[in-house]
Amino acid sequence: MKDGGMQQKLRSEAKALLEQGKVDYIIGFEAGSLKFTTTPLITSDKDDIDRLVINPFIVNNLSVYLSELKGRAGIVVKGCDSRSIVSLLQDNKVARENVVILGVPCSGIIDLGKVEKLVGKDRDEIDDIIQDRDRVVITVDENRREFPIREVLFDNCLGCELPTPQEYDILLGELTSAASDEDKIASQKKINSLKNIPPEQRWEFWRSEFDRCIRCYACRNICPACFCDRCFVEETEPPWVLPVPRWQDNLVFQVIRNMHVAGRCTDCGECERACPVNIPLRSLTREMYDMVDELFHYKAGMDKEASSFLAAYEATDVEDFIR
Amino acid sequence: MAVSDISHRPRFLAKGNVYLPHIAVIEKIIDETYDTSTFHFNFKDEKLREEFTFESGQFALVSILGIGEAPFCICSSPTRIDHLECSIRQVGRLTRALHRLGVGAEIGFRGPYGNCFPLDFLQGKSLVFVGGGIGLSPLRSLIWNVVDNRDRYGNIDIIYGARSPADLCFNYDLEAWDKDKTVNMVTTVDKGDESWTGREGFVPQVLEQVAPSASNAVAIVCGPPIMIRFTFPVLEKLGFTPEQMITTLEKRMKCGIGKCGRCNIGNIYVCRDGPVFSYAQIMSFISSEY
Amino acid sequence: MKKVTDSKKISKKNIAKLLDEWRQEFTVLVPWRDETVAKWARWDGKDTSFLDWYRNTVVPPKAIFFPPMEEMFSFQKDREGYHLELPASDESKQLIFGIRPCDAKALAVLNMTFSDAYEDPYYLAKRNGGVLVGLGCTNPYDSCFCTSLDSSPTDSANVDLMLTDIGDDFLVEAITDKGKALMAKTSLAEAVTRADEARAKDVKETTYAKVTKKIDTEGIKEKLLSGFDNKDLWEKIAAKCISCGICTFLCPTCYCFDINDELVKNQGERFRSWDSCAFPLYTKMPMENPRVEKWRRLRQKVCHKYVFYPMNFDVIACTGCGRCIRLCPVNWDITQTLDNLSAEAQVKMEK
Repeated sequence: MKDGGMQQKLRSEAKALLEQGKVDYIIGFEAGSLKFTTTPLITSDKDDIDRLVINPFIVNNLSVYLSELKGRAGIVVKGCDSRSIVSLLQDNKVARENVVILGVPCSGIIDLGKVEKLVGKDRDEIDDIIQDRDRVVITVDENRREFPIREVLFDNCLGCELPTPQEYDILLGELTSAASDEDKIASQKKINSLKNIPPEQRWEFWRSEFDRCIRCYACRNICPACFCDRCFVEETEPPWVLPVPRWQDNLVFQVIRNMHVAGRCTDCGECERACPVNIPLRSLTREMYDMVDELFHYKAGMDKEASSFLAAYEATDVEDFIR
Repeated sequence: MAVSDISHRPRFLAKGNVYLPHIAVIEKIIDETYDTSTFHFNFKDEKLREEFTFESGQFALVSILGIGEAPFCICSSPTRIDHLECSIRQVGRLTRALHRLGVGAEIGFRGPYGNCFPLDFLQGKSLVFVGGGIGLSPLRSLIWNVVDNRDRYGNIDIIYGARSPADLCFNYDLEAWDKDKTVNMVTTVDKGDESWTGREGFVPQVLEQVAPSASNAVAIVCGPPIMIRFTFPVLEKLGFTPEQMITTLEKRMKCGIGKCGRCNIGNIYVCRDGPVFSYAQIMSFISSEY
Repeated sequence: MKKVTDSKKISKKNIAKLLDEWRQEFTVLVPWRDETVAKWARWDGKDTSFLDWYRNTVVPPKAIFFPPMEEMFSFQKDREGYHLELPASDESKQLIFGIRPCDAKALAVLNMTFSDAYEDPYYLAKRNGGVLVGLGCTNPYDSCFCTSLDSSPTDSANVDLMLTDIGDDFLVEAITDKGKALMAKTSLAEAVTRADEARAKDVKETTYAKVTKKIDTEGIKEKLLSGFDNKDLWEKIAAKCISCGICTFLCPTCYCFDINDELVKNQGERFRSWDSCAFPLYTKMPMENPRVEKWRRLRQKVCHKYVFYPMNFDVIACTGCGRCIRLCPVNWDITQTLDNLSAEAQVKMEK
């Protein structure tokens, strides 16, 4: 993505929004405290605006902060993130007039985990990572190595269905085209490989994955669709799951969470990225996403006018699952 | 009930695994209000029944094995130790389950934990007890403790109130203290009903009307936060210094021994350094909001 | 005059043999990883390739003595009432091979917490039989800041044996009697030359200089307390936090836990499991919750580590391992916060 121009435009637009009092604060990205990292910048101070950045590392889905929104926000979103905002609008969690959407056309975010595996070095041992259109140049100890960009993008970026926000107030750059079929298949590789193994093996796979879960709830807290004031795991009457990280409770927690975000999840992939023990959560969320699409021809966050999928009833709804 | 002198008894500390509850059997249940009952119970283990002691103000972690555990103050007095008492209000899963238990049911009990009312400091002084609603519970242990050793203390005023007559707890104690000529028992309700012939008024207001002397006196206050908030200024007006005002604080607790972390206010743990604090101590807490 | 030293050295080629010797007496735990996570696991008897990749684990060694969940006791109910049973005690002694100085210091903090006033039987039973073989760093992360917290990447203060990487060998220093006993039993230890000692000194100095992240802990307590009630400041600090448990769970010094019961018909268990002051339910009471707002919870976390814990135990409950910074999904950085708070306090004091 051509980020130089976009970054400048973002800074001037954001500053104007604050100065004109159109928003109470800006939610965007600034350089992180670690190399090749960005971090959310939430500020009402126009002097902070020059810290805003757009680069291939702006991974967070900032719409997660809108649920606790007090006041009006100007928010920087990529295509996938903007779908989360639309989903929140459908659920009436956010009022449209309270957000000014600064849309960033995105050609993919770099997965540092993939970079580290490619060059066999940790992030802080890498000199530089530069995206040059469809290639990435990684420099380690002054040795430059080039790779096709798709080898270092996040899986769900490979299958991106909406690189450019449909719903926006200010578009910060040129439109980007959606992923090719080949890329879409690549993005589903892990998920499809799971679909192809027999159920008992799949069960064993997930049982061992959830053995690792420490119930930090990063997956739930970073998810814009998880906006319940009181999550079901906090319920004691009855206690649906124990707050103890046994694999049974962990697995049930994740399955129920998926059920609750069905029709709201936009496959932004943040849950999987946030997981500190690398449980392949997208393999579950994407499965739910595909099921919702298959059964109900619905994809979250694509149509602002559509009613919230599970919260609304239409006369034309499929009914043959109810007898 | 045999009354005994507890002034020189050593602090009881159960041996072994501090997290392991002892099993106690419910012997009697008294319904105080529509959502509060007092449970009388005794340890199943005879030796423990004989050895166990505690001091007024201390609490225990009571549990139903398989449901959960929560802190409750021991509201019986250490001078009347043939059984133990805890008053429990229905507010959640565990307390609702406790209320479904009957006489003979077994519960888990570990404790006693926390500090206690400072009997040495209170000795020789006049005492003003100010209680509201279920807040009488920790006070009750101290009141009976003091009444059973009456000659050690000066005047005793008990000012107790609740929202309505139906919300008054420990009516049988209120009657007994009312009959006791050495104690000034003042009961009030915020709003009476048709059959109520007693006093009406909020506890802080009634306290101001009763106006007990602050000279060589200590006020011990326990009740809902809003009552305490309005009581401290009245006490100040009456001349009580912050060192002369004592209260108990409540926090979510799990371990009871200052390890799980959650009951802290700054660097102090309510379960270990409290729950009894003087207002002077509270004013020195890390912040006015905790 | 040559300095008399107790140090020995062990060739890296002999580490597998050494671990095998120790395996006869201890359960040996080493750094382990797969594609998903780096943590501590039982040594498989063969593989010492961790010596190549190991900088630090994601899951800290506290998980060995204070696991994410453990059974406190089980119970059964029959007509006679409840019968309680403690879990079978693990008699084996554990040897942690390769613990970093930051993690070892953190264990020292946990020791204080779990033995203060009341002894915690679950932690102490495991810890008291444990032996720590420390391994000094040579390649600190850019997120490490141990040097600002009374420690260093080669600090030997809290281990039984301390290893320093001097190239083909490890210099081995026996720190405690446990460590001396271990060294006395092995024949794999060789004498150390002056060149070895010089190399070790050089490695320690070079590695110390590699730790670039720093915080100023001078007067940190007063600085944090001066801004304690500054709601606007703390709201700004906490704005991007998502209140998950990653920083607290992966912190080697955090120890907050929850206690919960399981019941299936007439039997069940009482568990303790990791809890976090970042969670809203952590302090929730039936009628009120003193820390509903996120900024209060974050303030609690920072102040507990840098103010409250030192008030009780004279040591900051942070060892600069950097995990919280590396693994936070929003890159919330405690060192930045401490700098900001310090700066605010400075401005306030100068006013």
